This record gives sequence, C-alpha cells and structure tokens, in this order.
Amino acid sequence: MATTTATITLTTADMADSAFSVSNTATLTTAGTDTGITETTGLGRKKFATTDNVVLLDGGLTSGIAADVTADKSAKVYIKNHNLRGDGTKFVNILLAAVEIGRLYGGDWMFIPWCAASGKDIEFTASDATETTLEYTCFYE
Amino acid sequence: MATTTATITLSSADLLSDNMSLSATMNLYKGGTTDTGLDQMNYHRLVIPTGTSFDLIEESAALTEDANYVYIINKNTDVTDFVKISINAEEIGRLYAGDWLFMPWDCDLSAAANDSSIEIQAFTHEHIIEYALFHNGETLVTSADS
Repeated sequence: MATTTATITLTTADMADSAFSVSNTATLTTAGTDTGITETTGLGRKKFATTDNVVLLDGGLTSGIAADVTADKSAKVYIKNHNLRGDGTKFVNILLAAVEIGRLYGGDWMFIPWCAASGKDIEFTASDATETTLEYTCFYE
Repeated sequence: MATTTATITLSSADLLSDNMSLSATMNLYKGGTTDTGLDQMNYHRLVIPTGTSFDLIEESAALTEDANYVYIINKNTDVTDFVKISINAEEIGRLYAGDWLFMPWDCDLSAAANDSSIEIQAFTHEHIIEYALFHNGETLVTSADS
C-alpha cells in the first residue's frame, strides 16, 4: 500500500481583521478503508488551442488513461491551468459531463473527488482559442 | 483588496518508483482583473444529517459570472463515512472522512444551468462539514421587519 497525501493551505493576512489560515492534509485512501490508493494516471500536461469542448478524463470508457478508474469510489483529480493570468478575462470552464463546475483562470488549480461513472467525463471549454496548457492527474482505485 | 493564497502539495514516497511531490500556489483574484484579490468570504462549520441532499452553497445573483472558489472538508473520522458533492444533481464525487476539495465554482442562474447550487448528501452517519466560499458579492436579504 502506498501513502499519498494532499495538503491544502488557505491563507490571507488582510481579508479580515485578523489573519486567517486553514491547513489540512488528506491521505488518499480507497473507498471506505484506510488503505492507501495505489494507482494514478500519472501527471499529464497537454496544450490545446480550441474553443471546442474537450474531454480531459473519460469516465466509464474501456480505453484511455482513465479506463481503470472504478466508478463511485474515491478517485481524486488535480487540474491546473498553466497559462499566465494576463488581463484575467481568459479561462477554461471545467465541466462534469454537461454541468459546469467553474472557471480556472491562468495559474488556478483545483482538486476534487471524481465519481468517474459512465459518461461522467471531466471536460473543459476554453474561453478563446489562445493556446491553453493544462496539467492534470488522477489518483484512483 | 485582499491577498489570499491557496496552496496544494501532493506527495508520496512510495506510490511510484521514486518520490512524487507536486506543489502549486494560486492567488484568489476577482474575475476579469489582472491582480485584484477577492475580498469577501464565508466560513462555515455545520452538521449534515443523513438521508437528504441539501444545498450547501446556494446560487445567487451576486455570485454569477465571476470567480468564486470553494473549499469543503469532511471532518468525520470513521473511514466508511462519506458525503456526495453534486451540482444540478450531477455527482462530482465523494468526500470520505478527512477528504477535502478545492475548486472554482461558476454560479450560473441561466435556465440551461437549472440549479448551480452546490449540493451535499451524507451517508452512513451525520457529518461535520467545514466549508469556505471566497467570492465577490453576496445577495443580501432585506429584513422583513425594517
């Protein structure tokens, strides 16, 4: 069994009257156990220059890098938009199937659980056709 | 304007044949700006009973078409406990005890989006959940007795 951890730290010194900081570490385990997750798609980095909808991780397929992700378990997905922020008007919409989750502006990242059921693809649509570089990985059982 | 940062570190000494470590830090900026920081947030801690899907973070007009970021952590300790996180009844995934998520959130009030509220449903036991919403506005409710 492997031990993989994901740590988040949220900090602000000036949003409130006093500094605010939250930090937590999750150990990535298989569903309903304390056994560490042992599989990953590996870290991917891809460039896209389109406003078309693109499937990043295909849920429920029998081929592709996410083919072995077991649905409705404890898969976790990390995605980062590696573009520069620029004027803050360019972003990629991240979707689960047809449902929009949110916008990753240049430099933004996200870390979410993924149900990975059939048809529940993680997709994205860029706000314009400027080349976009995404980095992503999935940990799964 | 405020400066708020979110940092993630993913690491493992034994998942791969060599150490894996990845770290990324982002600033939480308002949408459509170069570097103007979000300056409003909500932080909550609450108990979610089992059996019903609840709106954890409700959509509202003031949150639309902007940059919102959501952090949710499952504070339960029993490894069999989990909550499902969904948007518009589409399950994103499960947060087991100790798991957290951090994601952008597009609050979309259009008819096509139907309901972009972030939903949560607890399984096995009631759950202690903490969550934060970093945002650029909140729809205020006029007091009924003013």
